Amino acid sequence: MSLKKHPVPAFAICIGLPILLIGLSLFIGRYTLGFSEIVSILFHPAEWMNDPERAIEYSLIHEIRLPRALMAFIVGGALSVSGGALQGMFRNPLVDSGMLGVSSGAGFGACLGIILFPNSAMVYFLAFAFGLLAVMLSYLAGKIYDSAPTVTLVLGGVIVSSVFSALISFTKFTADPMEKLPTITFWLMGSLSRANFQDISIALIPISIGVAGIMLVRWQINVLSLGEKEARTLGVNTTLSRAIVIVCTSIATAGAVCISGTIGWIGLIIPHIVRMLFGNDNRILLPASLCIGGAFLLAVDLAARSIVSTEIPLGVLTALIGGPFFILILKRTKGGGSW
Amino acid sequence: MRLKIENLHFAYPSNRVLKGVDFSVNPGEIFCIFGPNGSGKTTLLDCILGLLTPDGGTIAIDGENTANMPPARLAKKIAYVSQKSGRTFPYTVLEMVLMGRTAYAGMFASPGKADVEIAESALDRLGMLSFRNRIFTRLSGGEAQLVKIARAIAQDTGLIIFDEPTSHLDFRHELNVIKYIMKTAREKNIAVIMATHAPNHAFFFESHGLPTRVALMDNGVFEASGTPSEVLTPENMAKVFGVVARQFVNSENDMMHQFLMPVDFCDPKAEP
Repeated sequence: MSLKKHPVPAFAICIGLPILLIGLSLFIGRYTLGFSEIVSILFHPAEWMNDPERAIEYSLIHEIRLPRALMAFIVGGALSVSGGALQGMFRNPLVDSGMLGVSSGAGFGACLGIILFPNSAMVYFLAFAFGLLAVMLSYLAGKIYDSAPTVTLVLGGVIVSSVFSALISFTKFTADPMEKLPTITFWLMGSLSRANFQDISIALIPISIGVAGIMLVRWQINVLSLGEKEARTLGVNTTLSRAIVIVCTSIATAGAVCISGTIGWIGLIIPHIVRMLFGNDNRILLPASLCIGGAFLLAVDLAARSIVSTEIPLGVLTALIGGPFFILILKRTKGGGSW
Repeated sequence: MRLKIENLHFAYPSNRVLKGVDFSVNPGEIFCIFGPNGSGKTTLLDCILGLLTPDGGTIAIDGENTANMPPARLAKKIAYVSQKSGRTFPYTVLEMVLMGRTAYAGMFASPGKADVEIAESALDRLGMLSFRNRIFTRLSGGEAQLVKIARAIAQDTGLIIFDEPTSHLDFRHELNVIKYIMKTAREKNIAVIMATHAPNHAFFFESHGLPTRVALMDNGVFEASGTPSEVLTPENMAKVFGVVARQFVNSENDMMHQFLMPVDFCDPKAEP
């Protein structure tokens, strides 16, 4: 089932799947809208917006379903690309986008924000800032011990992640159990229900910068994955290339996590699914991860808001759907030469 | 390309590894570095490759000092074939060889169509073109080594450095790799530096008419250097390895082959 030898369908899947799912997500929901209505709302928004009787339909599409679908795509794509790039750079297939502590750092930042500045943009800002702070601490912790940089960075990431996880537990322990604890808990499980265009446009800045930076050095990631010695002798400035990968993946992941909360698994599993389908060359792997990762989170979010009447937290579903899906692909492709 | 090394010194915090190494290698020439484990061979190669910064002395390529040369520029002058290769992700053979074109692509770009053609012709030169879509990590040791030589050829340098290229290989693959190294040096007129534990390879190159020199490295210096027949003598083996070595000569079909083989320890107390 490997798609490596069929570039046209592979390309079509990567482009078509997200568009199809974004379209589908406009239709799915408890409030039923017809096809012609949705098309009309999309292409003649002024007619709907200014009519008080039809303003609800307008806001349902333009303020709820569309931003949510776009956010799912952006967040899923950013996490997958970051995970794939870090796997290559660390030469470790078990690494994911939160490896350097971004996710737990951002989680702690969000907890602080929820406790100190409830319902304000400070939550996003603190999540983003602590996500980046965690990466810096991982880097500094890794530098203390002078060994192969990829090993010490992973070690630094593990240590910093566990420190921030402990801090998260502590804030949960001290948080007001009636009001703030549930908010924190839901944030940590990940959700796109608060999606709006303003959040998206703010998060899109770091995400675009990060993803674009990763895409620029994607060939260098191939060479980095051979190891320090080979990469250097093949002409890669390993220190600079690694720094670019770390900075770009951190910015992109922090940008995604600060609006969506921690959504695990995607950054680990999507790159592997793409490896099985399209091979390991990061020139194809990373752009394909962007599309497939985005499409995957779109699909999971659709399921999260339509399976039962209350919303299922995304972090729960990504693992519940992602695990079996991974096994299925593994069985179909027999690994597809991916490892 | 001419590589010239003068008075090279290198020390780790606890021990001095290179204590004044001098030599030069000319185009089309094979320079074998032979010596015990821990004698400093790998450190010397790492200094030439720009992976370690020497504490003293100079390394110059065609008269230009390589200190502080950016990796991409150095990679257009020196290619490296390691003993073993990173095997974390299973790239295809063509992708592996294409990585030899990284230095020409620039930091923010990928190799293009012309680079694919260069990679394919390098594979073809080694009779490996039919392997282009095979998975590198699933190749045998000998096949993988040929792919890496193809990558070094695609890198289009005037010097290729080999670090024990035939260790772990069976008889046939060993001969194959040695013959392709010889062919590459001869046809592309490039210089070759080879760290090796096999003295017979140096004799083999010499008897096939390649300008071959051997350096016998021990304890951070060249104990002797010159042609294989001058350096790889029973006296030198006794001095450096403490072994009794025997020399053999075989002449057949107008080809003379020399061999050197350790048969005993010089010090009887070393007997197991």
